[in-house]
Amino acid sequence: MAATLFFQVLVNGLVLGGLYACIAAGFSLVWGVLNIINILHGTFVVIGSYSAYYAYIYLGVHPFISVVLAGIILFIIGYLFQRGIINRVVAAPVLITLSLTFGLDLFLNNSLLVVFSADYLKLNLANPLGVLQFAGIYVPVDRLAAMVLALFLTCLLYWVLEASRIGRAIVAVRMDREAATLMGVNAKHIYAVTFGLGALMAGSAGAMLSVIFPISPIVSTLYLSKAFVICVLGGLGSVAGAMVGGLVLGVVESFGGLIFGPEHAMTISFCLLILLLIFRPTGIMGKKGYE
Amino acid sequence: MRKRSKISLVVLCFFVVFAASVFLSVHEVWSADKTIRIGAPLPLTGPLAPEGKKIQQGYNLWAEEVNKKGGINVGGEPYKVEIIYHDYQSKTPRAVQLAEKLITEDKVNFLFSPFGSGATKAASGVSEKYGIPTIASTASSVAVYDQGYKYLFGTFTPNQTLTDPMSKIVKENVPNAKKVAILARNDLFPMAIANVMKKSAEEQGLKVVYFGKYAIGSMDHASALTQIRAANPDFFFATGYVNDLILIRKQMADLGVKPPAVGMVAGPAYKEFVEACGPLSENVLSASWWHPAVRYKGTSVFGPTQKYNQIFEKKYGHVPDYGHASASVAGVMLQLAIEKAGSIDPKKVRDSLASLDAMTFYGPVRFGANGQINSLKPPVFQIQGGTQVVIYPPEIKESEFKLSTK
Repeated sequence: MAATLFFQVLVNGLVLGGLYACIAAGFSLVWGVLNIINILHGTFVVIGSYSAYYAYIYLGVHPFISVVLAGIILFIIGYLFQRGIINRVVAAPVLITLSLTFGLDLFLNNSLLVVFSADYLKLNLANPLGVLQFAGIYVPVDRLAAMVLALFLTCLLYWVLEASRIGRAIVAVRMDREAATLMGVNAKHIYAVTFGLGALMAGSAGAMLSVIFPISPIVSTLYLSKAFVICVLGGLGSVAGAMVGGLVLGVVESFGGLIFGPEHAMTISFCLLILLLIFRPTGIMGKKGYE
Repeated sequence: MRKRSKISLVVLCFFVVFAASVFLSVHEVWSADKTIRIGAPLPLTGPLAPEGKKIQQGYNLWAEEVNKKGGINVGGEPYKVEIIYHDYQSKTPRAVQLAEKLITEDKVNFLFSPFGSGATKAASGVSEKYGIPTIASTASSVAVYDQGYKYLFGTFTPNQTLTDPMSKIVKENVPNAKKVAILARNDLFPMAIANVMKKSAEEQGLKVVYFGKYAIGSMDHASALTQIRAANPDFFFATGYVNDLILIRKQMADLGVKPPAVGMVAGPAYKEFVEACGPLSENVLSASWWHPAVRYKGTSVFGPTQKYNQIFEKKYGHVPDYGHASASVAGVMLQLAIEKAGSIDPKKVRDSLASLDAMTFYGPVRFGANGQINSLKPPVFQIQGGTQVVIYPPEIKESEFKLSTK
């Protein structure tokens, strides 16, 4: 009995961590490469959720397919935001870009409120994905899928940065903007692509989460705050940081909730965050930049 | 030349603005002597915005109906109703400031309180200080009314009037019911109702095998639900708001938590809950202070309950829930009291509210000595076939209690 409880809580923590990693992946990229704390991130996730919801309701598109569609939509939105607005201050101190994305988020999030209202929606599949069960341990398939998606996005990002032409350019701009520009890299375009990729990952995550969490513009701040904690925990500047940070946070919250009661799950994770900031400020996997 | 046209444009603008303000102020003066102004600080943005908007719809519907019928009759003279809204952004301290601003700057005659027991309690001190009769349309906790205040009146009966019948129904209908598990949002109303449920369940001889609370903004309930599954309760009662309860219901299915009776407050009363949970909402038990299926022969501006539902649906395109109805009845109470007093003098209206005894679409209205309504018998309902059906009290029930299967 006790073993079942232990393993169930461990599994709960890991699949929750998968969701967290999914939420944080794009945020980590934008912060690590562009040095922009993207307050818009939570709202991007919510737009991904709405895309998946309405694609399913009106067109019958399965959210697994919407993961791609929402990703593309958000890439375009993200690219335009960076190219048109954020690029103008991208070299400014972090507080300036933070204020800008904060302002843009107020605008975008309130527009969503006007369009979609604050009522909570949730995508209910006609054929629910169900639950895997073995030895008394339950694993919801939708959360498992989100975990796989997070893993996939992380690997994809790693591949893009390591092996593709655009990825090498992103890394080059991160290392030395001026040198990269002299080598013929269009820095403005690269910034916009990077921000677009971050938005793409947010959108894909949102599509996946539409079957798990209630959807409303209001939940964007919850996503954002989790992404923030995960990135600091996992460490910036490392592709695997969000994945590791997410999983650690998931497991810590899960056991924290079990041992100290659910009201302290978040307290425990924030205590961990403070300890980490004191003793290892670069985070678990952190290093400087995507070098 | 160009400079001159610019100047004349500026002058023209000034003139237009001046003319408009003169017109508006004349308009105000002209209408002021025939208008009753009611202040309503509401959370129109922020986390409580969905609730705030519901309440606003309820108030607006009342004001519109009253004005359509010529206004409130004050000693033979018709007065129009005007509600002045201020958004307190879901921040309680701001609600208190705005209540004061409404009274001192906007010169309102009466006040509708902010949302929920917490903010109502906080703002009630202000309206008491200025002697402005205030109707609370969303406060149920007795702690709000037991402050010895004279100017506060509320539309919700105490919390145990919801939990007593619920636990009784579970005890009577679930074979061999012995154990109850409670999971509550760590927030004023959700904790208050969870605590009275604990009491109600214990009075029915049920043993509380799990009592947990989760933080506001929790995105995961797996640890609590895993422990609840291990405790194997006959009745699981969860409290929170719509988003919390949607997530809890979904995670119950994810983790195989399947007690024979599932109760939740305060989400199942809203259609969003049913739509968002889909088949999982089936047989979830809940209770609220009002339900569109109740039938009262109201004599006020809305007439009987059916008529209220009709008017509401015509305007907003969906069925009202208890939040809408409570907001509308807050207006009705005020109207009845003013008409009975034949005056808009705050003191007289206050006394008239205290001795009010009327029938409305919402139910009979009488206030206890502390200002909280004590004449209502809140209905218990269950989601059956995708809608809320009343299962208690017997005189209005539409169906019998069913055990949860999923």
